[in-house]
Amino acid sequence: MILTGKKIKEEVKKGKIVIDPFDESKINPNSYDFRLFNKIKIYKERILDVKKVNEAEEVEIPPSGFVLKQDVLYLGCTVEIMGSNFYVPIIRGRSSTARLGIFIHITADLIDIGSINRWTLMMHAVQPVKIYPYMLIGQVTFWVPKGKITLYKGKYQGSKKPMSSLAYKDFERS
Amino acid sequence: MILTGEEIKKQVKLGNIHIKPFCEELINPNSYNYRIAPELLEIEEEIIDSKNPYKTKTVWMDQQSGFMLKPHRLYLAKTYEEIGSREFVTILIGRSSVGRLGLFLQITADLGHVGCQHCWTLELKVVQPLIIYPFMKIGQVGFWINYGSKNKKYSGEYGKYSIPYPSKLYKELNK
Repeated sequence: MILTGKKIKEEVKKGKIVIDPFDESKINPNSYDFRLFNKIKIYKERILDVKKVNEAEEVEIPPSGFVLKQDVLYLGCTVEIMGSNFYVPIIRGRSSTARLGIFIHITADLIDIGSINRWTLMMHAVQPVKIYPYMLIGQVTFWVPKGKITLYKGKYQGSKKPMSSLAYKDFERS
Repeated sequence: MILTGEEIKKQVKLGNIHIKPFCEELINPNSYNYRIAPELLEIEEEIIDSKNPYKTKTVWMDQQSGFMLKPHRLYLAKTYEEIGSREFVTILIGRSSVGRLGLFLQITADLGHVGCQHCWTLELKVVQPLIIYPFMKIGQVGFWINYGSKNKKYSGEYGKYSIPYPSKLYKELNK
């Protein structure tokens, strides 16, 4: 079951959903629109390796905009700190940004229950496209879980800016 | 409704979810992490024709040096695990750790069919060149509750295969 916009508002008021800052005008019939933070990360190397620490550089998106190029991966993040210990969030693009050819995640739309932070957005453009800080970039939906809840305690908890991949940590034990 | 990690574990034990091999430490708060098998298919055509079968080449990823995926190419891979359920709907997603490196695990086809139990084909595409390794945790699968009476067993084309399987759309187009 997916929450309606009205239910999202109710649950934010009760503290069962965190959206901070929260603005009622950004509620949709079944989702909430989130904005793009003004920091973006770009990997320094062209060839990435899941086993290595891939160094990334942080760039500020100026008010005059920033052009996303094809063939370059950009990590952005939401302005809002979001999450829930009661519902499962799923993020998606807005049709308005998708119509410009912007991917805001790369097959990783499911957010763990209990992951409350500025979510990292995996940005990729089909054609060059200019983006602006604080623009509405995507939307989040909330889903009812079934079963006993174990909250997320993972490696990205508490992020306040775009976080590059920590996949290399998966290989540390082996 | 989406199953929590605890519920996935319970349903695996009850036999309502099939994940083989199953490993408890791969459970997430609301999904299960799957690994990638070492076998990949490269597509050996510059232009793919949906009306014709395409040529593929099987490559085996090396455990030590891995395999570099190149941008602008499509690769077909498969999950190491057999995954499926006759009770719940499966949705195939990536992991954020892998998405943050620009690797797509499927191309807008995330919905699995109820009843289908096999090693799933993954459609890999990268934004920047990326080296990956066999048996790494690559994606996750979520399980959802059905609403409505279920069909008989899934009788689709791909469910019987446990290898990376190329598109069979040409069969439909040539009918």
